[in-house]
Amino acid sequence: MEYNAFASLSHFRILLVPVGSISRATFDQWAAEIRTLENLRLSDIPPGTKDEKARFMPSPKSKGYLHLCFPTHPPPSSHYAMSLFRPSLFPLGVIGIASCSHTDSLSSIAAEFNATVKDLFPPDSLYPLAKNCFVFEEDDGTTNLNLGDHLPGLVIIPSMMGNKKENIETLLADLCSNILAEFSTVVNTLESPLGNEYLNATLFPFLPSASDFPRQLVDDEPERLSRVPSQPEHSPVPARRVSTPILGMKRNPSTGPSSPMASARQSTLNVPMARKRQSLIGAASSHGRLFKVLGDLFILAGRTEDASVWYTEALTLFKTSTDSLWHASTLEGLATLSLLDAWSGQGFQTSISTSKEPWGDISERLDQAISLYGRPGPLPEPDQRYDLHAYLYTVAILRHSSLLFAAWAAKGWGPLAFTALMHPGPAPYIPPTLSHPDSHLPRNRDRLSSFSGVTRSQIAAVLSQVHGPWLLHLGHRERIAVLESVAYLYSSLGYHRKEAYILREVVGCIMDLVVCAREEDGRSYLPGIAANGKESGDLGAVAVKGIERSTGNESVLKLVKFVCEMHGIDVEAVTFVNPSTQDEGGAPQDVNADDVQEDPYGWPELQIGIIREALAVAEALPDPPSVAQFSLSALKSLHAVLGDDDQHHMYFTSGKALTAAKRRGETRSIEYWSGRPVVSIELLQPPPSRLLVENPVSVLAQQRSEGAGQISQMTGPFLYNPRKSVTARGSTLVVTDEPLEFVLTLRNPFVFDLEIQNLSLSTSGVAFDMKPISLTIPANSYHPVTLTGKPLEDGSLVIRGCHVQAPGGASREFLLPLATAEEEEHRFRRRSAAACESDRTKYSGLESRSKKSEKRNSTLVASALSKRTIPKFLECTVVPEQPLLRIRWSSLVHGAVMLYNGEKSTLRLTLENVSNLPVDFLRLSFDDSTIGPAQAALAEGDLSIYDAYETEYQLINRPVFSWDREQEDTEIPAGRKVAIVLTCSGKVGCTSGGIYISYGYLHRPQSTLSQPQETFHTRQLSYPVLVTVYHMLECHNMDVFPLDQGGCEETSEDGRAILFKDVEEEGWCLFSIDVRNTYGLPFEVTLNRVQKNAPPTSTTCIVAPGATTRMVLPLKKIQLPEEITSQAIPMLSDRQFVVDKTKLSTAEYKLQRELFWYREELFKSVRGHWREAGGTRSGELSFRQQRMTLPMLATLRTESIRIHLELYRRGSETSEEQISVMRKNGTYHPAPYQFVYLRVRIANLSFQPLVLTADTTVDPADHVIQEGVLSDVPIGRLEKGEERELEAPLCFVACGRFHVQVEARAVDGAVREARVGSATLKVVVSEDNPE
Amino acid sequence: MSHHLFLLSPSDTPLYSLTHFSAKPSQAAQSPLSANLPSWSTSAFAGTLTALSGASSVVQASTQGGGVRMGGGQDRHVIQMIANASLDVIEEVVRRDNGMYLKSVDKFNEWTVSAFVTPGNMKFVLLHEGKNDEGIRLFFSEVWELYVKTTLNPFHTAHSGIVSGVFDARVRASARKHL
Repeated sequence: MEYNAFASLSHFRILLVPVGSISRATFDQWAAEIRTLENLRLSDIPPGTKDEKARFMPSPKSKGYLHLCFPTHPPPSSHYAMSLFRPSLFPLGVIGIASCSHTDSLSSIAAEFNATVKDLFPPDSLYPLAKNCFVFEEDDGTTNLNLGDHLPGLVIIPSMMGNKKENIETLLADLCSNILAEFSTVVNTLESPLGNEYLNATLFPFLPSASDFPRQLVDDEPERLSRVPSQPEHSPVPARRVSTPILGMKRNPSTGPSSPMASARQSTLNVPMARKRQSLIGAASSHGRLFKVLGDLFILAGRTEDASVWYTEALTLFKTSTDSLWHASTLEGLATLSLLDAWSGQGFQTSISTSKEPWGDISERLDQAISLYGRPGPLPEPDQRYDLHAYLYTVAILRHSSLLFAAWAAKGWGPLAFTALMHPGPAPYIPPTLSHPDSHLPRNRDRLSSFSGVTRSQIAAVLSQVHGPWLLHLGHRERIAVLESVAYLYSSLGYHRKEAYILREVVGCIMDLVVCAREEDGRSYLPGIAANGKESGDLGAVAVKGIERSTGNESVLKLVKFVCEMHGIDVEAVTFVNPSTQDEGGAPQDVNADDVQEDPYGWPELQIGIIREALAVAEALPDPPSVAQFSLSALKSLHAVLGDDDQHHMYFTSGKALTAAKRRGETRSIEYWSGRPVVSIELLQPPPSRLLVENPVSVLAQQRSEGAGQISQMTGPFLYNPRKSVTARGSTLVVTDEPLEFVLTLRNPFVFDLEIQNLSLSTSGVAFDMKPISLTIPANSYHPVTLTGKPLEDGSLVIRGCHVQAPGGASREFLLPLATAEEEEHRFRRRSAAACESDRTKYSGLESRSKKSEKRNSTLVASALSKRTIPKFLECTVVPEQPLLRIRWSSLVHGAVMLYNGEKSTLRLTLENVSNLPVDFLRLSFDDSTIGPAQAALAEGDLSIYDAYETEYQLINRPVFSWDREQEDTEIPAGRKVAIVLTCSGKVGCTSGGIYISYGYLHRPQSTLSQPQETFHTRQLSYPVLVTVYHMLECHNMDVFPLDQGGCEETSEDGRAILFKDVEEEGWCLFSIDVRNTYGLPFEVTLNRVQKNAPPTSTTCIVAPGATTRMVLPLKKIQLPEEITSQAIPMLSDRQFVVDKTKLSTAEYKLQRELFWYREELFKSVRGHWREAGGTRSGELSFRQQRMTLPMLATLRTESIRIHLELYRRGSETSEEQISVMRKNGTYHPAPYQFVYLRVRIANLSFQPLVLTADTTVDPADHVIQEGVLSDVPIGRLEKGEERELEAPLCFVACGRFHVQVEARAVDGAVREARVGSATLKVVVSEDNPE
Repeated sequence: MSHHLFLLSPSDTPLYSLTHFSAKPSQAAQSPLSANLPSWSTSAFAGTLTALSGASSVVQASTQGGGVRMGGGQDRHVIQMIANASLDVIEEVVRRDNGMYLKSVDKFNEWTVSAFVTPGNMKFVLLHEGKNDEGIRLFFSEVWELYVKTTLNPFHTAHSGIVSGVFDARVRASARKHL
């Protein structure tokens, strides 16, 4: 269709029709051959013989051209009303193209050709004026062509002929000559008065058929119709009486229009005719229309000067009348004339005088024409042809816009523009300025504008007038053609949104025809279009849909896709994959692919409307794969703006379409579409009993030497242990042939339940056995799902992600890297980069469509992308099979144990090996609720040395649970049971405990002799125990007293007597403690004395509930060598050494250590036990919470110098007999004025020799007489254990109480003296004392 | 006479839209070709075509006596299509025209499109029928001021729709005043 050819008014149309059994390819070949003849020189046309016929014939010397045009299908029947109004629309001649083979006879070809022509044109049509049939010989001269020569209207072109083109040109010239001769016939008819009346009768006049025409004019009509036009010689001479002289004058007019001459002609022509016809028909008609027809015909005949003369005449007549359509058409003709003049290089009349654009006057004329076409008609005729009116209007606008467009695209007025305007050819013409690769850039278009002086908006402004409701008046073909042309122009201008708008209408038209045609029982709706070979595919669809083929669907869908794309809908977001070529289902999608949100593009409301329409189109075609693709793509890319109903509808439509597509034999399958369904994959921890721990082999050696395992486990010597963290992390351990569970979190962002047909893990590494599952993800939610599988061998297993497959689609892999810190940081950087750019708009309008974003990622986001490292995936280490134990039985009821503080009980656990591997390694470890706080306190480091020791002591020496490993059998063969016995002791503050049994199979047969493994794996059984400890006995007020002999003697109770049986006055002390029973039952408490140099003894008493009892036990004094007491307070664990913060002097340190060691010794000597009164339960009583004070220490410690004082007297002056002074309750009772002797026995009990002096003081000294010196009596050096005696005679000269005190001083070196020991003697002197 | 205002972000997404009916009568002369349209097909696709070509709104007008069009008689979808399509022309004109107010840049069907392009490449598109250049200019500059005030909100991004009631009320008031 050449509606957009600007110069279509000057096109000399010759219809090409296939005749006979010619194949399409052959026809196209010859048609193309003929089409190369675009222009025919007027001088080449053979002049006619007769003067009458020669009115339109060119003179042999004329320079003009005939502009030939070869359509291949006839005009629509509705256009025949315009046969006089616009002759250029119609084929003036017909050329049949036939190919000749053996079978066809020429006569049959001729008959068929005539029948075809008759078929194509309505019987009363004016056209075609001439016809001819070209028979192309098929192969070399073997056919029976010799008899064909005398068939009229049939020309044979032998295949031997060398220059076919020249031959065809000659034949064409002949044909044109015939047609031009026929022009005169037509004009002659019109020039008759009756003809003129017919011309003016209606808006779109026609020449009536012969029967309606008055006699005198009819004579040539039937002949003209029946005549074979190829033989113009045979036509009879028409009778031309009235206008011959006048028109004859015009045949060879002068080169320029001469107005006086024209006006003279007019007057001579006008006046008589008007008067003459008035009487005949009753209406006088102007000759405007006649002149216009003449102009049209002259233009076709290539005689521009004549045309110009006639048009000018017509214009002056139309100016006064209201015949707007004819007026407008005349203006169009004039505009065409100007172009023709410009093209043929004859120059234009206005170009010299004006500085305006050279096409300015053309443009002006067309403007006028358009406004005239758009003006309401003078009288609304009952049969007003709105369709033709609208058609003329739209074509005029297209003509105008194509003029501007050609000027714009050709960078101005020049040959390029002329070519575009004159002969755009059958296919859409794309000017070279718009076909090079950079042409789509706005820069290029702006350049064109600046060169040509035409802006795009100017063209668009003209073009937009074409669009309006009147498009509905047009016939289907015209409407589609007009819309196509508009779309083409908009597209070339780069107005893609407008193009999309127009294309929607095009699709609407076509789909309407498709639907209507189907309603008409599948018959072809417009038979004419099917034959149109050079139409774009979408028109083909109109015809072929009736017979259930899908040839044109693709083109319609292409249009739909284009419209969608222009509105930012990516209808190909979901693509089809071919399962045969791609079994894995597409490249795995990266986790970050949809991480960065693109800025939204487009108009959501419009997008929804357009996608709905696209779906409707695809459904109506019907094309199920596209339906599925569109709906799924829309769901994928637009779900944020789609309403609930739409989402549901699209989902179900896609499902139906996919099954329909499969039924119809669709082999491709659609890729997985719903974005990224998997959010996370987690390996579910196995139950604790199956949990595997990896240990280095070196642990084995260590564990043998047990030691202070409890504490070292937690608090190593270093605060930071790098090895520890390494072992803690590392990959997860799983066991061969044991099921693994993974939890996948799936996401469904849609409002419908999303069905997933197949979901499986994507793994690499060792073989992994799992069954895919199918599931439905609830609407708009995150949905966790558990997948189970089994590793089949040991090694490393990497979980890369998962494969997902939707129903009817292909499976797709989604990678899911581990959220490592690096990955997180990477993602964060991407996100922040995107956020940083989100508000900065660099691309606007159509360029901001996300499809082009690949290119633009060159900025921050891309730089973040480029730093990508290989993602880390979830990784498991699969180890060989491991044995499995379980606790079969335990002696505890409900796992709870109830104990008194300090009580010990046993606990039995029976373990069963349920696997088929033996267990040859078994270790137990324990935990209880006291360990934690104690360790925390220790780790804090704020405890004093003393407290720290105490805490450690509690931890190590008094664990709640203990296991004597040596007694137990640590091997459990497969399927056997073994019982282990544990000890459990009550410790106040313990509420719960745990028993952890680690086991493994160490000595498994090695498959190779390679070096033994560095690690082994254990599993752990844990057995929690609920512990209740009753705190029933409390100890307070521990004290140590010096043992006073006096008190001892008065005791008469049996128990005490026994207790003090062996006790001497010196070297003993008394240990006492208060025991309080806070429980509801009486307890029997026993204190045991365990001392090396003293016989064991014990004291027992029953402590009633709520009562406090003081218990007393004599102790032998303790003496510890200095090597012991000078030792630092030990640390029981290898915890970190903390420098003591308390600054103590050396002496204080010494004291502290002494206190510590003597206390330890004390606790070793005194043991407490309790027993349930009347019951069997018993336990230990701990004094460890008691503190030791300095006086206690002084009492407890054996003095270094022991001084024994004694009073005696002699029986007589000379005798050696010593009579002891009466002693009572530790007090001596001598008589006054009696000489008594004080014997001082000093013993060195310390571990080193001492040099001593002794001081004796008697108080009151005034009443005592002594002999010699009492103070600073040198005793001399006493070796260790050595004893020395002193004697001093005394005489008490008064009655009363006396205190005798002896002090021993060590003479240490020169100066310093220190008191190392003292003793006191009480003396009561009275008259009653015996002599 | 109705007016349709759209505030379009640089990525062609409408952030705000307003339909305003003014009391002034429509003075656009109807083309004679728009009359007596044939009802040529009943298929849904024909309906699309009819709507897009602007025919339905014309029919609507004629049934109401050619006077003031009230209510959302016009196909909203078509109005939006026209506004969207006019961006083609606006983008081109902006490239060579320095002014922010582009009066009557485009005509489509019976609509005239005026536009106002802010320095931030926000496009205010107004579809109107009559000629009211000065009123539209004043209206646009008021809307611009209101828009700038809205963007001062730190929580407002270039792509988020304007939902402020105050903005809406003031734009409506301005429309009543000038259109």
